[in-house]
Amino acid sequence: MENITLAAGIVKASALLGAGLCMGMGALGPGVGEGFVAGKACEGIARSPENASLITRTMLVGQAVSESTGIYSLVIALLLIFST
Amino acid sequence: MMVEYIRIAAYLGAGISVGIGAVTTGIGSGIIAGEGAKAIVTQPKANESIFRTMLIGQAAAQTAGIFALVVSMLLIYGGFDVAEGGWFKVAALLSAGVAIGIGSIGPSIGAGYSGGEACKSIARMPKHSNAIMGNMLIGQALSQTSAIFALVVSLLLLYSVPNPEEGISIGRLIFKSVAFLGAGLSIGFGTIGPGAGIGYVAGRANNMIGRFPDEKASIMRTMFVGAAVSESTAIYSLVVAFLLIFAV
Repeated sequence: MENITLAAGIVKASALLGAGLCMGMGALGPGVGEGFVAGKACEGIARSPENASLITRTMLVGQAVSESTGIYSLVIALLLIFST
Repeated sequence: MMVEYIRIAAYLGAGISVGIGAVTTGIGSGIIAGEGAKAIVTQPKANESIFRTMLIGQAAAQTAGIFALVVSMLLIYGGFDVAEGGWFKVAALLSAGVAIGIGSIGPSIGAGYSGGEACKSIARMPKHSNAIMGNMLIGQALSQTSAIFALVVSLLLLYSVPNPEEGISIGRLIFKSVAFLGAGLSIGFGTIGPGAGIGYVAGRANNMIGRFPDEKASIMRTMFVGAAVSESTAIYSLVVAFLLIFAV
């Protein structure tokens, strides 16, 4: 088994703790934001059902953009876990 | 000496779990009760269906608090008074409490908002109380999904943490233990956003089903799609938590 020194262990430990915090906090914003988009889209479809497909399209595009920061967090978390 | 450390971690984790978990489930069911009382004032004739919706909604909003209670009972009475597991166990038990404690914040607030909007909506349209209550329950169940992710991670941290290998180096011991803490923080914070976001979606959907009952089908479809997309970040957090527990 590989022998890891105390200092290297602390560095790796910080990277892993950082990965957990990064994904945890990073999921906060997109979750709330996408929920808000979807809530308003429900409202819009109820008020003008004839524009349903337009509203759904806008909702999905908006959510995809809002998702990007969540994906950034995922990428950083995976980098911190596997390449440090 | 290890037994004492494990017990300290278990008791501390139990306190964190139900301490943080109780705050937000209280707020969530309080929102429902407040909106319910207001709804009965504006529509006294519908008081029976409003009262029923309020009670059912509060019960659903308490789910995450009950998860936190279960985890803290397991931490106190689950037999964590043997020296098995060493420092891995210490970190994992603390992390199990943090995961479900913080993890119950978002789902409870979300379920609370959804239930509150349902009470308001029934006061406006008492005729459609059954459709609104059905949608409220579906929305609350969707927003509790992320609390269930947190519960799964907590239970894994309680019962599937390996023993440290023989002759493990000090560095590996430290980073593996911290990885368990990171897993709890990842899923704990990661459920706040999706839980609250899906709760908002469900609340707006309840409100709009009360105003435009004819559009129920398309409103519910939008609610499902929106909630599913909003759930994705919770799934990322779950993946990172699993990687930190099993793949590091």
